[in-house]
Amino acid sequence: MAERMLIEPDLKFIKDVGIVGGEDVKKCYQCATCSVVCPISPDNKPFPRKEMIATSWGLKDKVLKSADPWLCHNCGDCSTRCPRQAKPGDVLAAIRAQAIIEYSRPRWLAEAVNDPKKLPILIAIPVFLFLVVGSITGLLNFRPDLSGGIAHYKFFSTWLVDMHMVPAAIFAVAVFAMGLKRFIADIHQNALDEGKTDKQTVEVGGFIQALVRVIPTILKHNKFSECTENKERYVAHLLTFWSFVGLFIVTSIIFLVLYGSYLLPTGPLHGPWSQLNPVKWLANLSGIALIVGTAIMIKARVNKPDQKSAYKDWFLVYLAFALGVTGMGAQLTRLAGWAEVSFAVYFLHLIAIWFLIAYLPFTKLAHLVYRTVAMAYAEYAGRKFTP
Amino acid sequence: MSKKYGVYICHGCGIGESLNIDKLSETASDEGFAVKTCPAFCGKQGLEILKQEVAGGVNALVIAACSPRVLYDTFRFDGCIVERVNLREQVVWSHPRATWPAPTEEQKDDETFIDHVQMMASDYLKMGLAKVKKIDLPTAFKLDALSRRILVIGGGITGISAAIDAAKTGYEVTIVEKEAALGGNAAKWRKQLPTEYPFEKSTAPVIQAKIKELDNFPNIQVKTSTVVARIAGQPGDFTVTFKKPGEKIEFDVPFPLPPEMKVDESGKELEAEQLHARYLEYNQGRQDILTFDPNGEKFGAVVLAAGWRPYQPQEGEYAHLGFGASPDVVTNAQFEAIAAAGKIKRPSDGREAKSVVFIQSPGQGNDQDFPYASSVTSLVALKQAGYVREDYADGKAFVIYQHMRTPGLTENYYKTVQQDPGIFLTKGQVVQVSQNGAGLIVNADDTLLGQPIQIKADMVVLATGMVPATKDDPVINLAYRQGPGFRDNAIFNDYADSNYICFPYETQRTGIYAAGGIRRSMTTEESMEDAAGAALKAIQCLESVNRGVSVHPRSGDLTYPDFFFQRCTQCKRCTQECPFGALDDDERGTPKTNPTRCRRCGTCMGACPERIINFATYSIDSVSSMVKAIKVPSTDDFDEPPLRVLGLICENDAYPALDIAALNRLPWNADVRFIPVRCLGSVNVIWIKDALSKGMDGVFLMGCKHGDDYQCHFVKGSELAEIRVKKIGEALSSLALEPERVAHFEVAIDEYDKIPQMLQEFMGTIEGLGPNPFKGF
Repeated sequence: MAERMLIEPDLKFIKDVGIVGGEDVKKCYQCATCSVVCPISPDNKPFPRKEMIATSWGLKDKVLKSADPWLCHNCGDCSTRCPRQAKPGDVLAAIRAQAIIEYSRPRWLAEAVNDPKKLPILIAIPVFLFLVVGSITGLLNFRPDLSGGIAHYKFFSTWLVDMHMVPAAIFAVAVFAMGLKRFIADIHQNALDEGKTDKQTVEVGGFIQALVRVIPTILKHNKFSECTENKERYVAHLLTFWSFVGLFIVTSIIFLVLYGSYLLPTGPLHGPWSQLNPVKWLANLSGIALIVGTAIMIKARVNKPDQKSAYKDWFLVYLAFALGVTGMGAQLTRLAGWAEVSFAVYFLHLIAIWFLIAYLPFTKLAHLVYRTVAMAYAEYAGRKFTP
Repeated sequence: MSKKYGVYICHGCGIGESLNIDKLSETASDEGFAVKTCPAFCGKQGLEILKQEVAGGVNALVIAACSPRVLYDTFRFDGCIVERVNLREQVVWSHPRATWPAPTEEQKDDETFIDHVQMMASDYLKMGLAKVKKIDLPTAFKLDALSRRILVIGGGITGISAAIDAAKTGYEVTIVEKEAALGGNAAKWRKQLPTEYPFEKSTAPVIQAKIKELDNFPNIQVKTSTVVARIAGQPGDFTVTFKKPGEKIEFDVPFPLPPEMKVDESGKELEAEQLHARYLEYNQGRQDILTFDPNGEKFGAVVLAAGWRPYQPQEGEYAHLGFGASPDVVTNAQFEAIAAAGKIKRPSDGREAKSVVFIQSPGQGNDQDFPYASSVTSLVALKQAGYVREDYADGKAFVIYQHMRTPGLTENYYKTVQQDPGIFLTKGQVVQVSQNGAGLIVNADDTLLGQPIQIKADMVVLATGMVPATKDDPVINLAYRQGPGFRDNAIFNDYADSNYICFPYETQRTGIYAAGGIRRSMTTEESMEDAAGAALKAIQCLESVNRGVSVHPRSGDLTYPDFFFQRCTQCKRCTQECPFGALDDDERGTPKTNPTRCRRCGTCMGACPERIINFATYSIDSVSSMVKAIKVPSTDDFDEPPLRVLGLICENDAYPALDIAALNRLPWNADVRFIPVRCLGSVNVIWIKDALSKGMDGVFLMGCKHGDDYQCHFVKGSELAEIRVKKIGEALSSLALEPERVAHFEVAIDEYDKIPQMLQEFMGTIEGLGPNPFKGF
């Protein structure tokens, strides 16, 4: 038995978890039905029962510094079967939202991203940057020469784009790096305290091997398909996930080709690319997948009143949906020859992209990083999480 | 009464197929009874026959058909004795011909063929005939004067509610309250538990509104600063003397002599006169119970709502929880007083108590709660946890329990309290409460948090229970020979009760109906509901006594014990053994009957060595005659005569259990004959002697379970019977009969499936002993 734990409930934490969708946590009466029905919970120290009591007792460190909430894929099997409607699935989602805030710096930005009142300011930042920097540098041209056909770079220079996107990406990576350093140390200490691992230290080589072992699970969404409730989320999440992968590949290729082509004597190769180019196929396919995937997610959330949808949830699905719609919209309006409309939509698209990249460590999308690390850690620690 | 007999044998429900009805009819007609048979006496045609018979003057009917427990109203003929011979359940259904074959055509006239089932039917019919000859129609006992006033003892929420409920139906009610003001415990709280749907929030106490409501009832009289000095007499005619608390008056109730004073120096029992002298000396200045206060007030029934007091731990008790060592460790009652006075402050230094731990169970290796604790202590902890949160926005209340009991809709209350972010609930065992600077440290094991925990607390509250008022004091102060209080509350955890689960409000004294915290620890809401129940019981008592019928549990029974005093030897056994204190005796020891106190169980009849106590429909003679009507086959009849065993069975539990066994077609041994008795307490040992001297091979008594979950309808009957059986064993030895021939079984009504096996085992014992050597004498 572990040593005596001093209980000092953090009432603010209970309140905060409630705000982000876990307000039913106090209804739990510890029957452990959730842990029993969860298809992916490990046998040793299973979740979410222990997270339910720790959260309702305000034991912030015990839940935020644990890898277990991240192993949950929020399929909802537990919430459906909970006899007290305590919604363990939503509580774990709320815990994860709190953990994202906890591990990201600066803290004020993390809180702002999760505060609906701050949304106008957050949107104003890229708009302001684009307009001001664009005006000063002259890289934003509201009256471009369109004799060679409509091309977005003539309106919004690729230099201007990357002048914003690259630093935003560097910022995001830095925030994640700092967060993960603490996160990994904390979840390991927690696993030691609670007897969830026999590994004394986190050894880098072994951890990376574990990461490699879990990647196929993530790519195939194996964990999702184990759930019995919420089957349609499997499809939606799979589509969205792969659309991001596809768009990342496309963007990387375009980035390399563009800046590589500056070395060419003929000068840089600007878009738009031919519809016959396989890269374009992938781009369009991913775009459609993103729109369809996020649309299913929105529909599912609207139709499921028993599942909690907090601001953090709507923020992300609408952002991803907007990303897809503005991207596809910019292309379609361009093809239709509506230059002004197309530029406006492209401008919105760029805002959405910047938004996504710069605020990534603070949004729900950060799960991409934390869950991957938590799953890799569980694999490393021998939690028998992967089948 | 002059009886005209009629015997009616039914063919229905398989009786006709199994039995030779003609032969059975002969059994009755040989004894001179007119016999009629019918395919179904409960049918239209059958009932018509019975009605014609009654119209033709028959007033003693023996209906040999189904169990007396069914079709009671169908076969009820007012003004007639109706004896039901249970052929269907006890003979035919429980003894299939496949196991006990009927004689074939060739065997029909074979004298040596043993037809067990037919013999059994014949025995039961003869027993019915014997009984009907010996019993009479009862006449009601009427009091000379009847008071319809109801006395309510206790002016708390229960007493006031009971008074209002009774007054609403038009009865005159008097409330006595020992304190100067009404209200009791319910007036001492900051808030009370929810009283109405949705049962989610604790509310302001309702007691003051209830006290005000009393003004609307001119038929309710309130006496504060008053206690009951004595209640003399019997239901319908109680004479009650009131007094100021602490006062000493001549009508203070006298107490019976304690056992050590009933013997002389050498330990020998004193003579009646000496005992009486000692009794007078012991109760000097007090009038005897048989002297009635000429200034006493008359009442018909009593509602006992004297309530409860908070349990106060003794010094050193719960030392491991810091009780006594730290003033900040208090009971829930003390905590309530602090809360009622204002914001919750630490008793030690008056500082705000923002972290409070509520301990529901003392721990130390078992999961018992505090004494007298119950669901109320769980609910009170939830309520008081709410106080901490009310007083301080950053307050924290921890409830550590072994049992969190929130019955019925109070579950809604639990759910609401649970939603409070600052209230923390866990099952667990508190191992230690210790001082930590100015505060306290609570250590608990086996919690839901998965590891031993430690909580810093400003105060610790122990969920101690509610002690019924009757624990400390008789309260009712009955001028009864057995003593002023209830005799056997110990088997009901000190609460004023009479059965472990059934018969709410009934106490061990007829006419006294308990409600509220004195009966069981309960919430205000439950107490108010309980009050209505007790008020109705008091009314039922009055409306039964006025007609001369029994109140409970033999509701409507017109019979009552009749004493043939000329032969009384003043042994006082009846007075002492009556579970309801119905009998008082005078200075010579002659019993004085109080029929309206009586519940008609017949324990006095069973106790009487002179056999002078009888009921019109149930007597020593009627049962003896039934025993003697059983044919005991001997070697004169058969080469290997079957055994015969008598079962005296309780008609409240054992008899219905047998009926259920028969309904389920569970066969039992065919050598047993049953006689139902009102209670095993009514079994007189003469019946056992009759059976054995007649040559029966064994006798058993089958009654209710006793012990923790005492199920006897008459509190002590089964237990008394067991003692008597043990004593008779010694007498049997002197007759060279084995004591094992007489046994006592306990059975619950739902254990019907075990009865056949019990009988079989007993028959095995008897077979091992061999036939009764007195057979054939």
